[in-house]
This record gives sequence, C-alpha cells and structure tokens, in this order.
Amino acid sequence: MSTPSSPRRPDASMTLLTSMLERPLDPGYQQAADRRAAAGLPAATPTRTAMVIAMMVVTGFLFAVGAQALRPRPTAAASVKGELVARIEAIQTQGQSQEAAIAGLRKEVSELEALALRQAGAADLTDTIKELEIQAGFTPMKGSGLTLTVGDAADSESDADAGSRPSGGFDSGRVTSSDLQIIVNGLWGVGAEAIAINGHRLTSTAAIRFAGQAIIVDFRPITPPYVITALGDAARMQQLFEPSFAGVYLSQLEEQFGITTDLTAGDALTVPADSLTRLTSAKPIDARATASTVPSLGGTSAPAGTEPNDQPKDEPDAGSREAPSATVTETSDGSSLTRDASDPGPTEDATP
Amino acid sequence: MIPALGLLVGLTIGLLVDPAVPVWIQPYLPIAVIAALDAVFGAVRAVLDGIFNDKVFVVSFLSNVIVAAFIVFLGDQLGVGSQLSTGVVVVLGVRIFSNVASIRRHLFRA
Repeated sequence: MSTPSSPRRPDASMTLLTSMLERPLDPGYQQAADRRAAAGLPAATPTRTAMVIAMMVVTGFLFAVGAQALRPRPTAAASVKGELVARIEAIQTQGQSQEAAIAGLRKEVSELEALALRQAGAADLTDTIKELEIQAGFTPMKGSGLTLTVGDAADSESDADAGSRPSGGFDSGRVTSSDLQIIVNGLWGVGAEAIAINGHRLTSTAAIRFAGQAIIVDFRPITPPYVITALGDAARMQQLFEPSFAGVYLSQLEEQFGITTDLTAGDALTVPADSLTRLTSAKPIDARATASTVPSLGGTSAPAGTEPNDQPKDEPDAGSREAPSATVTETSDGSSLTRDASDPGPTEDATP
Repeated sequence: MIPALGLLVGLTIGLLVDPAVPVWIQPYLPIAVIAALDAVFGAVRAVLDGIFNDKVFVVSFLSNVIVAAFIVFLGDQLGVGSQLSTGVVVVLGVRIFSNVASIRRHLFRA
C-alpha cells in the first residue's frame, strides 16, 4: 500500500484493517477503468451487457434460494408443538377427572367398609383403622400445632462464612435437605403427630432429599420458604423443641448463616393426606386373633352386593388378594387391616 | 434499470421453482449470499463512480462467492467453521456498509 518513498504510515501494522475500511471497492474496477482510458475508450462499460444481466439473474436466483432454503419453517414445528400441548392438556384433564373419581370411590369404599365392620360387630376395628390411618398419613388432619417457616438467608450469595459449613457445594446460606431432615426428626421427637412440608404430608415412606439445588420431599420438588406444619400439643412441643438438638441446630443456622426461621403456634392448622399412598403389601389376619371375626366379616360383606366389583376390598378372609385402591396397614401384632388410601372426607382432630 | 429487472427475474424464478438445496450446500449458502451482496453493491458503486467494468464485476462476483464458500469449507474441515464464517461475515459486512455509504453520498450528496 505504501510505497518506499512515502513516509511510513503510523497504522502500517494494520494494513489489513486499513485496506478493508478505506478501499471497500475492488481495486480491479479502477485498474480496468485506467486501462480503458489509456486505450481511448470510455472508462466505464455499459451496464446492459448480457453478462451483467445474466449475473444479476443468477444473483436474484441465489437470494431467493437462500432465503427459502435457510428460513426456518415455523409451520411444521408449531403444528407439532400445538398438537403436543393439546394432547398434554387433554391428558391432564382426564387425569384430574380420574383423580376425582378415585376420591369418590375411595370414600364409598371406606363407608362400605365401616358399614361392614359395624354389621359384623367389629366396630372396635374402626377406631384402630382410624388411628392407623392417622399414623400412616392417609387422612387429612387439623388441629393445634406448630408452624415453622425456614427460608434461605437474604444475602445468601455474599455470605462471609461460606465454606465454613459442609454444604457440599451449596451456598451456606441456603437451607439444605439435611437441615430439613434434622428439623423434621426433631419435631417427630417432641411429639408431633403429623407433619407436612409446604403442604406435602410426610409419611413413613416420604424421603427428604435433594436433587441438584432443589429439595425433594416424597419425590416432589419444593421451593423456599419451607413451611413445616407439625400437629400436636403446641405448647408442649414448643417447650421441648427449642432446647432439643434440632432447636439448637436451627438457632445456630439462624445466627451463623442468616437462615430465617419463624416458629409459631396455631390452633387451626391443617395437614393434608398423602395423595400418593397405594397398596404395597397385604397380609391375612392372624387366624388366632380373628377366629371369630373372619367368618362373620365374610358373611356380611358377601351380601353387601352394592359394592362395585372394580373396587374390591381386601377382606380378611380373602387371603392376600391385592386391591389396587386399598391400603393395608399393619399393626404390631401382625394382624392387618384394610383401609382406603386417601379419604378426603373424615378429618381427625390431632389434639388429644 | 435492466440489470435490476434481471435481479427481479432471478428472484421470481427462484421463488417459483423453489429448488431443493442439497444439504451439503446449505452451510455455504448464507456466506455465498453475503458475498454476492458485496459484489453487487461494489458494482453499483463502480457504476456511480463511472468506472464500472462488466468483466471485473463478473469475476469479482464469482471469486467472492467461491472464496467465501471455500473459507467456510476449510473452516469446517479444521473445526473452526463457525469462527471463520463470522470472520467472513464481518469483513464482507464492513465492505457492504462502506460501499453503501459511498452510494448514499453519490445519490443524496449527504
């Protein structure tokens, strides 16, 4: 670009950029024009030559092809997506209606069961069933208890104590699943009868775990703040919880890591039933324990023909016949009782 | 005016025929389109400068398209196809802008 005679340009090290920015026109045009001028011809050739026109046709063709070939086809993807959305929504609606049907049928089953037990003269079993249901989390409960709200620290990103807590890569100002495990175990230890976290009932099969940075309760992800509702004797639980290990742990979390906690007592707290209970095992009642009740139960439930066939109850004399909608709770002496899994109807008062 | 009509004819043919572009050409098509745009704007500027030459136009057009496609092909083989595509687009884009600015000065004196 620069001739040896001319002084070196200050931007000589950027010749590529300079030539790109200052000479956007192909230098060939100027050279060709100079040649033609030297030969006595006009500097410019006409623009209507066949070559130029053919080239322009090719250019237009190229543009059209490029535009058509490279444009994303929204119609196909959108129609597939819309179809999938419609399918998902239809199945969700179907699932909701079936859930409602299940709830209704379960209520019917439990009513028939109570009726059968009453007719068989085994009304005392109903109380046992109710008690077992409470323990297993099959019935929604309400009553007095404690509400413990635990939330992440407000400035969990800039915690100066980060790293001092074995949080496994978590921000130390965040509530972890093990925190919730310790708190929940502490609440059970001071006499809670039913516990729910963010409206999810904790049963004997519900686990508090973490997946990534989310806390999973009974395979359902929950988000902060974590509201733990524990039913029981509120005053006694509060008195016992605060000096317990879990209570001290909680106060240390608050002091050292800024995790927010709030423990209040309430009179009309509710804990829902576990919606995912299902029959996992069934066992016949001990022969010695039920020698008198078995025949009468079988006798009374047989004429109760109003029972729908697709909702079989586990009758004690029916051996290990499994009913998908029924759940068996086992008592400590090995006898077993059948009970509908989640009955939204009766609500047990948890306070003694 | 007649070259512009030629451009319209080409566009119409392309839209009507709608040829199926082979998959192996598709990565080079956007670069080829930008290279062609660069050549076309360069030609328009040359016309306005009074130094247009049809041979130079055709040769620069073809060489632009082929070199741009070749650079992308080479980049694909070397595993830096997207970076080289970006480089080609930047260079050609700067040239297009400069030429369009020059055309604008010719046409509007501004």
